[in-house]
This record gives sequence, structure tokens and C-alpha cells, in this order.
Amino acid sequence: MIEIVSVSKYYGDKICALSNINLKIEKGEFVSIVGESGAGKSTLVKLLICEEKPDTGKLLIAGRNIVQLKPYELPYFRRKVGVVFQDFKLLPQKTVYENVAFALEVCDANPQEINDKVPRILDSVGMFKRKDNRPNELSGGERQRVSIARALVHSPKILIADEPTGNLDPINAWEIIDLLSRINSRGTVVILATHNKSIVDRLKRRVVLLKNGTVVSDKYRGGYVI
Amino acid sequence: MNRVTVSRITKLGIVNFWRNRWLSVASILIMTMTMLIISLFVMMALGINKTTDKIKSKMDITVYFKDSATTDEISNLQQVLASRSDVSQVKYVSKEEAFQIWEETQKNERVKEIARKMEQNPFPRSLAIKTNNPENLSQIAYYLASKQYESIVHKISYEDNKTIIDRLLSLTAFTNKVGWLFSGIFIIISIIVILNTIRLAIYSRKEEVEIMRLVGASNSFIRMPFVVEGTLYGISACFFAMLLLWIGYLAITPLIGQLGTSAVLEAKIFFMSHLLLIFLLQFFIGITVGIGASLFSIRKYLQI
Repeated sequence: MIEIVSVSKYYGDKICALSNINLKIEKGEFVSIVGESGAGKSTLVKLLICEEKPDTGKLLIAGRNIVQLKPYELPYFRRKVGVVFQDFKLLPQKTVYENVAFALEVCDANPQEINDKVPRILDSVGMFKRKDNRPNELSGGERQRVSIARALVHSPKILIADEPTGNLDPINAWEIIDLLSRINSRGTVVILATHNKSIVDRLKRRVVLLKNGTVVSDKYRGGYVI
Repeated sequence: MNRVTVSRITKLGIVNFWRNRWLSVASILIMTMTMLIISLFVMMALGINKTTDKIKSKMDITVYFKDSATTDEISNLQQVLASRSDVSQVKYVSKEEAFQIWEETQKNERVKEIARKMEQNPFPRSLAIKTNNPENLSQIAYYLASKQYESIVHKISYEDNKTIIDRLLSLTAFTNKVGWLFSGIFIIISIIVILNTIRLAIYSRKEEVEIMRLVGASNSFIRMPFVVEGTLYGISACFFAMLLLWIGYLAITPLIGQLGTSAVLEAKIFFMSHLLLIFLLQFFIGITVGIGASLFSIRKYLQI
């Protein structure tokens, strides 16, 4: 499904964010990418969502090297990969429903499709009852659920979560991870970048440890060990 | 892009325009000022051109004939001059007409009385020549001064007026150049200011742009609402500039009135006849600058 081949990324001449990364992620996997701050987790996420390009190497998703995507192809690629961030990235002036619908609106979806999909997705993340609230009227956990709902609205095959629990208390954090696990159980690849030890330990899924931009361990059913 | 998408983009543009109303107001205000300045310069340039044309049309050359010159010789010369492409009008002034003109301008009755009592009319016959372009006056003067007409020509008035004509011509050319130069400078300054204002407006929404990109919006979808906003800035600024211009015209009319009723009428005709031109100019500048500045400012946020 995802193949990262000899990927390196440098910022300027001296800072090496990622060095010769090789990873293979199969269909239906749940992979936690862990490491200290500055280990290269966020850089890897940025490369996977085509926010940035690697200096060397290939990033194959479903057999296609996304490094070579043309600018006009990027929006279509992004519709196939859902992304969730630590800071939720919700539009504050829009309601929960509008935030999720917006993701469909900007992609030329017809009103019928929006009316069909949005309530269903909101229901699946347990946020339908709050559909008319604005983000500032929600708790951190609820905001992240909306953010996940928005990421799922295009029915992506891959969901990338960059520190999704970073701003949440342990209970809310675990609820989000539980939600991600449920999404994964339906066949979506979930890539979770985090430095939350308790979550990784409890998940007991594949763990890739990054240190100074290199993969230092890759364990199935692993825990958080630095 | 289908109909639903177009209506979504338009709605998004209008909503953003309203939501960021203070930045919209700032952008519109600057654009209005720019358009007003440009309009005033254009009107001034048009006014100067009109006045220059008027002065130019009044510029002529008069050739005075010796009393020995025969009527045939004068009429031949008149025909030759009239057939020239650079001459627009040739008017014959007889001795009697010349006396009459002098009499009308002469205020001293005693002098007039003496002149009337003279046995011979001292005024020479002449041809008043008008050209299409005052720059051609010197060529005609040169032609009249040729040996061919030495026997009949008494004097050519051009030499007396040459200095003043040349000065007037260079002055109008200078005023025109300065006008355009100032307009150009103002347009550049205004574009820079507008660009920065719109950039600020877009900067305040960079998160929104980021989210749009994140959820897979195409670049054109991200760009278009800003284009709609830019268009709204342009149209609003055009409307306000026209309004201010109209108010300015109404305010200035009483001042023109002090110069006489014909001046008011002339100003009104001038203003009305150029109103459409000014409106189209403002509309074109408004839309172009609004859309151009929006597209230029957004481009930074659309790169990977």
C-alpha cells in the first residue's frame, strides 16, 4: 500500500530531518510512528501528504510515486488521504456540519452527496448531536472527532494522524485512539505520529521508532521504547 | 467547473468579503483614492488637451500685402495656400475689413476720428492662415518668405508671434508629460499599497487556505473566491470614486459659475461627455487591480 524507499529530507545544508528511510506499510495496518521531538515524525507526515517533497528517494502509494505528482494532481491525491492534526484545523466561523461539508464542497460534490454523507460521518464519530455547534463550543476531544470526520468524508484508504492527542487529556486521548482503531478495523490504513507513550503501549500495534531522522526500530505489536 | 461550484465560489467570495469587512473597507478605500486620483489626472489631461487645442486653433499666421500687389496675385496665393494639406483655412481680409477690425479694438475716439479723416486707408490687405497643426506654421512662414512672393508680401506676422507660440507649445507639452508622469507614479504607488492590503487580507485567512488545500480543494477553487472578492473591491471602489467625483463636480460648479455661465455650461458638457469614459476607465482599473492583486497575493499560498 505504502512504500517509502531511501527517503531523505534536508532543511538547508546542515539539518537532516530524515535520512535514508525505508518502510513498507501494508493494507489495513495501524502503524504508530514514535520518537522524540525533532526525530522526524512530522517531516515524514508532511512528505506522506505531499506538503513537502523529499530530497532523495521514492514515496510509493498504491504503486504511484507521489514525489512526481504534478501540482494539478495534488488535490485529487489529498482527497484519497485523510489527515488529522494536533491543532484540529477547523474553521472557527463554521458549524460542525459546515466544517465537514466544506471538505466536500471544495471538491465539487453535489448537494445530494453532501446531505447523504455528512450526517452519516458525523454519526460514526459520535458528533451528529453537536452538528450545529461551532468549534469554540466544543471540547478538545470533540473538535478532534470533527477533524477526523472531515478527514474521513472522502472515504480515504489512508488516514494520517499527526499528534492527534497532543492537546487532549488522557481520557479524551484514548477515545480518539479508540476511534482511530475502529476506523482501521474497517480497512483504512492508519498512520499515527505520536510521542504519547501510554497510548502506544496500550495499542500493541506496529511501532516504528525514529531517532535523529532514521528508523532505529520497527516492531509489530511493539511498545514505546527510546 | 459546474454551476453548483460556481455558485459556491461566488457565495464564498461574498461571505469572505463581508466577514473581513474592515480589511475590505481598507482595500476599497485605497482603491477609491487611487481611482479618484487617476480620474482627476485624466480629466485634467483631457482639460489641458482641450484648452491646448483651443489655443492651437486660435494660432494663425497673417501675411500682409504691399499695396502694389494685385488682387489676382493675392487670390492666386490664397488658392495655393488653401490647396496645401497642412492648411485648414485661409481667410482674405480686405483693407476695409482691416480698418473695421482696428476700429473695433481701438478705444480712443480721437485717434479713430483722425483715422477716419485720412484720405487713404493705411491698413494693408492680408490673408489669415490657420493650420491643422501649429507646428506647421513655421513651414508656411518659410514658404511665404520665399523669393517668389517677395514682390507682393509686405510682412509676415509669424515672426512676431513665433517666440510666444513656441513657448506655449512647449508649455502644453510639458504639462501633459508631467500629468502622465504623476498619474504613472500614483498608479504604481497605489498598486503597491493595494497589493499589500489584499495580501494582509489573504494572510489573515491563510489557515482557511491551508485547510482548503488539506481537504483536497483544487488551486482554482481556492483562488476563485479571492478573485470574486477582488472584483467586489474593484466594483465598490469604482462606485465610490464615481460618487465622490460627482460630489466634487457639484461642489466645484458654483466656483466655475464665478467665471460666467458659459464656463458652467462648458464644464458641464465636458464632465458629462467624459463621464462614460471615466466610468469605464475606473471600472477597468478597479477590476484589473482587484483581481490582479488578489491573484498575485494568493499565489504564495498555493505553492507546495
